Amino acid sequence: MAFVRIARVEEIPRGHTAFFRIGNKPLLVARVDEDIFALHGVCPHRGNPLEGATLLDHLLDCPWHHFQYDVRTGENYFPKNVYPADLPQLQAQLRPLRRYAVEIRDGEIWVDL
Amino acid sequence: MGKVARQMVEQAGLDVNVLLDKLVRAAGAEFTTFYYYTILRVNAIGFDGEGLKEIIEDARIEDRNHFEALTPRIYELGGALPRDIRQFADIAGCPDAYLPQNPRDMTAMLNVLVEAERCAIRTYTDICNYTAGKDHRTYQLSLAILHEEVEHEAWFSEYLGEGPSGHFRRGTPGTSPFARMFMSADIGQ
Repeated sequence: MAFVRIARVEEIPRGHTAFFRIGNKPLLVARVDEDIFALHGVCPHRGNPLEGATLLDHLLDCPWHHFQYDVRTGENYFPKNVYPADLPQLQAQLRPLRRYAVEIRDGEIWVDL
Repeated sequence: MGKVARQMVEQAGLDVNVLLDKLVRAAGAEFTTFYYYTILRVNAIGFDGEGLKEIIEDARIEDRNHFEALTPRIYELGGALPRDIRQFADIAGCPDAYLPQNPRDMTAMLNVLVEAERCAIRTYTDICNYTAGKDHRTYQLSLAILHEEVEHEAWFSEYLGEGPSGHFRRGTPGTSPFARMFMSADIGQ
């Protein structure tokens, strides 16, 4: 585990995401107002890259099947909020997105990968 | 396939394979939603009289119409639906709209419905954004479907007490006032 410089804060506009490959590790960085969040760049649902994911407030919307994750926790929001609990085989689709620690140093985004 | 139709879209700067992927996944979502809404509709017994059942039926038939309207455009652009319907369901662009664990829970059913429509709105907004000013035919088709998905969301949102939809009922379920001009099949109106 080591902090890696990713980008300058102003390179990611408010309400947007940016996708990076650090070595062979896909990384998604999301900016909600002044808060920066770093998450694993692959959707746990089907393993598709999150490049092009959009933000709706704190919800990250996967461009492939529109699964949504709360960038503050990595937890699935949709369809977890409507999937019935009596179909346990669906739970495997609802794994959370892995989060990484973020530090802002002199306007630069550093992520603990 | 429409050779020149595809060429025009490519020359406008769009990646047609990316667009086709979006359209096939959207068609898959419409097709699976039609299936799941059938189950939701038959279980919406006595919710607000039979009022909710009629609204689900309207959204159900219009989603089927969207599948019907999308499919010709996919083939015009040189794409195809998957040969295997299981693959088609797997790549559908929105999660399945399952019947809630307690089918007598009207709020749970409405949440399934409204979230499905919200997913559809995100889907067609994305396609409209991708095609705007570049692929006029797909843009107009997607915009027509988007109009109907927005209305569906508003209907179910109204039932959840989130505020008035501003709409009145369709004359007949499945009228598709916006997407019908793209229908290649007879919608029976």
